[in-house]
Amino acid sequence: MKTKWQSDWKTRFWAVVKYELLWNIRKKKFIGVMALALALATLSLALPVLVRNIAGEYLPQNPDYVISTGVGVGGLGMFLFAVAVAMNSISGEFESGSIVPLLTKPVSRTIIFIGKLLAAFITLLAAYASLLLYMAVGGWIIYGPQNNLHLLPLSLLGTLISTFVWIAMVIFIGTLSKSSLLAALGAFGIYMALNISASIISVFTSQAWILNYLPGSGAVGFIKENGTSMSVSTGTDNIASNIIKCVLYPSVEVAYLKFSFAPGNPFTELFREPLWFVLLRSLLVAFAYIIGLLAIAWHSFRHGQVLE
Amino acid sequence: MALAIETIGLTKRYGSLVAVNKLNLQVEKNTIHGFLGPNGAGKTTTIKVLVGLLRPDGGTVRVLGREVYGDVPESRLKVGYMPELPRFPKHLKGWELLDLYGRMYGMTEQQRREQIPKLLEMVGLKGREKDFIGKYSKGMQQRLGIAQALLNDPELVILDEPSLGLDPVGMVEVRELVKNIAKEGRTVFLSSHLLFEVEQVCTHITIIHKGVALASDTLQNIYSRISGAATLVVELAKPIDSVADVLRKLPFVSGVEQGGRMLVIELKTHDDVRPQISQEITRAGGVIVSMSFKGRTLEEVFMQLITEFGGQK
Ligand SMILES: Nc1ncnc2c1ncn2[C@@H]1O[C@H](COP(=O)(O)OP(=O)(O)OP(=O)(O)O)[C@@H](O)[C@H]1O
Ligand SMILES: [Mg+2]
Repeated sequence: MKTKWQSDWKTRFWAVVKYELLWNIRKKKFIGVMALALALATLSLALPVLVRNIAGEYLPQNPDYVISTGVGVGGLGMFLFAVAVAMNSISGEFESGSIVPLLTKPVSRTIIFIGKLLAAFITLLAAYASLLLYMAVGGWIIYGPQNNLHLLPLSLLGTLISTFVWIAMVIFIGTLSKSSLLAALGAFGIYMALNISASIISVFTSQAWILNYLPGSGAVGFIKENGTSMSVSTGTDNIASNIIKCVLYPSVEVAYLKFSFAPGNPFTELFREPLWFVLLRSLLVAFAYIIGLLAIAWHSFRHGQVLE
Repeated sequence: MALAIETIGLTKRYGSLVAVNKLNLQVEKNTIHGFLGPNGAGKTTTIKVLVGLLRPDGGTVRVLGREVYGDVPESRLKVGYMPELPRFPKHLKGWELLDLYGRMYGMTEQQRREQIPKLLEMVGLKGREKDFIGKYSKGMQQRLGIAQALLNDPELVILDEPSLGLDPVGMVEVRELVKNIAKEGRTVFLSSHLLFEVEQVCTHITIIHKGVALASDTLQNIYSRISGAATLVVELAKPIDSVADVLRKLPFVSGVEQGGRMLVIELKTHDDVRPQISQEITRAGGVIVSMSFKGRTLEEVFMQLITEFGGQK
């Protein structure tokens, strides 16, 4: 009996994952966000072609198109995916009452928690991988043969890590409040507040370093490569693009500038640091938030009573 | 006496409200034990403690010989539980839910393939198993609730108001179902506020009111303890004087009163002695038109207990 019980824990674990996966992919929210993402991807591929066609020109070939767009899901996109996948994950079961039969099955709450996270991960992986494939094939057709396609899995991984920061946030609020609405609104409030304040803090104050320790877009810095200047966002939302930049330009440095309305040169350089350091720090910060928020949520889920 | 459920001094509070107050509950194995009480008596609260959804504030709880403490999934392996007004994920189909729950019990594919159609048939959901649960009526969810409680061939089945929300036909079906479940050598613990339901189905009952157990015994003992001797009322076709004397000689008869064609027989026993009585009356030349027990219904027992409890306070 004992050995049988121990040997079939995998069956029970995968049952939880499947239970959650079926929910994720049948949710209207998720289907909606996925449809929106595909529509936007199509638009971003097709629009330049249309515009050029109207002007009677051909689109120039661009071998770096795909690698520079990556998965193509920006900060808001990742946030929306996170909300669509995770907002009901635990709080929704409390709200509907389906948590009661679930928690009385012989599966530990820890397994249920981890199973739900894994299901969210698989859902996102599938969604992002198909978007990436779509962008890659579309980009190849429109802009000709592409460089550095072997880096796309890294970009995918980066986008997943970035999104999981928001997943952790949504699950954290949802598990503690047992309200899906609060989970979505609370996380959205935090997302917006950080987004708005980030650009202001970054450009007008000399406190940009704070942003490197908050989730979201982070501070804005600039890199110079082959004479062209590019802006870089240093936050947890930009891990994917920073991974690619790091691989392509390994020794580049990020300069942080402060803008002032004083006459003369409006920009003063605050400090600079290597891009690899920026990337490493944003990864550590992302994992710190993911692990920290999920650990608290797990603890509360494990020890909570079911009053519903 | 092997116990399937045992609580000692179980107490559960919601803030300042004491929902369950030092409850001692003993449910013997292989019985159908009714947990009876009016709304708000603390039945659901007790059950939620038994299945580990709530933490007790005091006392100990043992289910199938194992102390209920913390999150021990293995202890839930042999327990089937149907929540009060169960709700299941709307996005799953009926059979998908049972299949996934079956996996969570560690059932093999073969076991699931055998068990699930059987259960769907049994609870009357056959033909609707491919529909999404979101499209099920309340009664259908209730039936699914019963099916999922029986998935893993549990030793102990805990049903919280299994017939709540069902139509009259459904209620009769559920009663039959419960009797059948118990036949297979299981313990069934079911809560209800419907007296006649418990009366018809259960072998043992515990009556709870305001979180306190008022009585706990076999159905028969509860009757006799409260109502004293049972009374049998017999109507004869025409009055015959000798009948009363004959009946008085029977060992289980404590007294007979006769008023015309009516005989009121006081019994010392709660066994069904109608065959013997009718035999004696016929032998004495009487013709029986009707015969009925004037036992106290559980309803009366229940009301008496509750009034007594109120009086003590
Ligand atoms: N989540 C909760 N928070 C606060 N009080 C609660 C909660 N659940 C139940 N109670 C209270 O605890 C007491 C017992 O409730 P419980 O649900 O156990 O009764 P019950 O016997 O199952 O009643 P019913 O027949 O109506 O289902 C009631 O007074 C109820 O108001
Ligand atoms: Mg109840």
